[in-house]
Amino acid sequence: MISKELCERVLLRAVSTGADYAEIFAERTLNHSIEMVGGGVDAINDNLVAGAAIRVYKGLRSVMASTVDTSEAGLMKCAQRVAEALGEGKAEISINLAERVIANIHQVLDAPSSAGNRRKVDILRAACSAAKEYDGAVRQVTGTFLDVDHNILIASTDGLYAADRQIRTRLSVRAVAEKEGQTQTGSCSPGRRMGMEMFDGLIDPVSVGREAARQAVVMAGAGYCPAGVMPVAIENGFGGVIFHEACGHSLEASSVALNASQFCGKLGQKIANEKVTAIDDGTIPNAWGSINIDDEGTPSRKRVLIERGVLKTYMIDKFNGRRMGMESTASSRRQSYAYTPTSRMTNTYIAAGEDRNEDIIASMEYGLYARKMGGGSVNPVTGEFNFAVDEGYIVRDGKICEPVRGASLVGKGSEIIQRIDMVGTDMDMGQGMCGSSSGSIPTNVGQPLIRVSSITVGGR
Amino acid sequence: MMADFNEFKRWVARAAEKAGIGDFELYYTCGESTEAEGFGHEINGFTSSVEGGVSLRCAVGGKMGYASTQEMGESEAEELVRRAAENAAVLESEEPTLFVEGGLAYEEHPAPEYPLPDAGELTRIVLELQEKMLAADPMVTESSQSVAASGTERVAIFNSRGLDVSASAGMASFGVAPIVSNGEEMSNEYEVKLGDPAKTDFDKLIEKAVTGAKNKLGGTVPETGAMPVVFAPEAMRALLGTFSSAFSSEMAQKGLSALRDKEGEMVAGANVTLVDDPFFAGVAMPMPFDAEGSPTHRKNVIENGRLVTLLYNLQTGAKAGRGTTGNAARAGYASKVGVRPFVMYLAPGDLSEEELIRKAGRGVYINMLGGLHAGANPISGDFSLQSGGFLIEDGKKTTPIKSFTVAGNFFTMLSQITDIASNLEPPRGGGSRGFTSPSVLVEGLTVAGK
Repeated sequence: MISKELCERVLLRAVSTGADYAEIFAERTLNHSIEMVGGGVDAINDNLVAGAAIRVYKGLRSVMASTVDTSEAGLMKCAQRVAEALGEGKAEISINLAERVIANIHQVLDAPSSAGNRRKVDILRAACSAAKEYDGAVRQVTGTFLDVDHNILIASTDGLYAADRQIRTRLSVRAVAEKEGQTQTGSCSPGRRMGMEMFDGLIDPVSVGREAARQAVVMAGAGYCPAGVMPVAIENGFGGVIFHEACGHSLEASSVALNASQFCGKLGQKIANEKVTAIDDGTIPNAWGSINIDDEGTPSRKRVLIERGVLKTYMIDKFNGRRMGMESTASSRRQSYAYTPTSRMTNTYIAAGEDRNEDIIASMEYGLYARKMGGGSVNPVTGEFNFAVDEGYIVRDGKICEPVRGASLVGKGSEIIQRIDMVGTDMDMGQGMCGSSSGSIPTNVGQPLIRVSSITVGGR
Repeated sequence: MMADFNEFKRWVARAAEKAGIGDFELYYTCGESTEAEGFGHEINGFTSSVEGGVSLRCAVGGKMGYASTQEMGESEAEELVRRAAENAAVLESEEPTLFVEGGLAYEEHPAPEYPLPDAGELTRIVLELQEKMLAADPMVTESSQSVAASGTERVAIFNSRGLDVSASAGMASFGVAPIVSNGEEMSNEYEVKLGDPAKTDFDKLIEKAVTGAKNKLGGTVPETGAMPVVFAPEAMRALLGTFSSAFSSEMAQKGLSALRDKEGEMVAGANVTLVDDPFFAGVAMPMPFDAEGSPTHRKNVIENGRLVTLLYNLQTGAKAGRGTTGNAARAGYASKVGVRPFVMYLAPGDLSEEELIRKAGRGVYINMLGGLHAGANPISGDFSLQSGGFLIEDGKKTTPIKSFTVAGNFFTMLSQITDIASNLEPPRGGGSRGFTSPSVLVEGLTVAGK
């Protein structure tokens, strides 16, 4: 995209007023999505995002400017803006870029950006039709085929000059079912850091459609979830959102560096039940949240966050790392050049334990089995979180009984992770888009079936 | 950027003509902003960004093809037309391809004008906010942050039917995020104020935020049960925003709104009037035209409990055999034209908030709702949401409460609002759209605590 020589000239301009670090992040991204409503293609969103951001540091100050003009003149003007905003001074560092060849751990065989609309529409239609045909109670089906071709280039005064092409594909179906005037929805949205080959055996569009419809039909016949404090068993896959919200966000340097997290100063201490080992791993081949390099150019890696209940590391980007006196853990991410990057999660999960699923359910006299979770949110300062149970069942005398709708779970992260007292063996992941200060980014959440000994269930 | 757009228009018109495309429209947005962020006694971050892009819609074979870009060069103009035509070829919806004619009359409501602070002024203000906040109370910690931003926003629409309109507004905003600690526990709050810095009372802004954060320390978990709930303005406007898609004719026509086929019917208590007003006093960017270029105006959506109208754009209006309400909207420049309100608000009543709380007697006062994107279903209306606020005992706000949920159904709740207060304020965010509400008293919701 932008030559090494031009990057050097731009970086020189950026550090001309005394910055001790400068970085260029340039991007060219094709976002494409096809929406289907009621069996017909309703809309296509096709957007080219292209621009660059220049960031400089001086000590604990950062200045960033972004531009859509990536010509030499545009980049130099942008560099001048950051240099001027930093203040008056003179250049103190020299620049010598070396191209870094990044190992590609996420092979893509069939780029969706050149696959054409027809193939995508066929896949989408197969999924939506399967949902509609699943049951007479299914009233409406909407679906989206989304693909992203995200090309990034990062050059910094550390000498780094590296590029990555991040291709992602996702199919999502949402079904609306109605029984006796009661409307409920179900959804299924698998995605990977892959191309069209995702549909050659790995993801079956028909199963995706049926799963969305199954959930909608079950929930349309469900009564309201009773409210109260009770034990809850949370299923694998997207159930891992509990760790993501209750704990993950509070381990990001964006909160920790500012001393604004419930887990500040707790490295090496036991913060969770000893059954809990939690990992953030950006290197899982072709996983939705995976990266080759983070958005500061640091090669991706696997981080054990919590090992048998003991806090081992935070997730750290370069800038917040300065304040913390710690190295980057390859956790810097941003939605696009227009956002200031910060520490974020990639694929985050609770590792498999040793409890058998049947024992977990059998251990509950009365409680909730959360088969499918919805999204949630957290205040990292206090750790107070919430998330929605999209498909829940009452557990009575160790058996899964009737479905219940409208449940949500609330609590405080630091307390809840102490109460994860049973961890199953069948770890699986689910895909989500995580929103935070650096925008919306793809992340995986995951866990095996777990039990939380007691938590507040919102219902009525 | 605007100069680039004017040139780009000509290139696209030429490319469209070459491709044999008669009707097309370009929708352009550009936002420029500068932001300073304070931490401790220093500036810790400074950002200046230019963002925007252009979207092309064109009628090809009776379908409306879309494509958009941030690159506005001559070669990209041809590429854009090619992509839009390619996308149109696979569309199957039966929507008419309608464009607004040029030469319509628009209401004029000037945006609030004041000198926008430059980078130096923003820096000075943030440092002042930090110093004042850190000194405001011994419980305020060094982790507290503040931010000052200023920027301009521009929207322009140009089409082959002679439409050529644009609007712009400048705005400044000031936010404080104190973190307080009592030695055992931390809590935080965020308050933001929009407008002329010379007329902004920073002390009041800080006091409000610090008091809000301190109120969350300690506190208790309420009992579980059905009880009267008073929603503060910030909570009620969040509910309105979450469920507002039900008022969209697009959602109704797609079978995704509980208010489908309910126009003319009672959908709320007779005390409820819901208004949509693009020119609400204090809105940062009053918009004389919507995202298709149609003139906008104020309207009652619900009047004394009756659903007067859903919100329409040209396409959905034609489908329903009626006109637009001027509510065409795009979520961003690249999004498809949909339907959204401008400033949607619940019309205020006569009581003060204190009187509402007195009438509640014993219940909860909720000023924080969390997880609206997950714990609320805009189609069914069901919600079960993380909440924060105060107990109401003997008709007064007493102990802070947290870690509980409130659950109900929004559409049922519209008939369970017993009283509406008079405390209506402008929407909190910048831009041309938002939600606001006075405090309301609702019967029949369930609180889940201990």
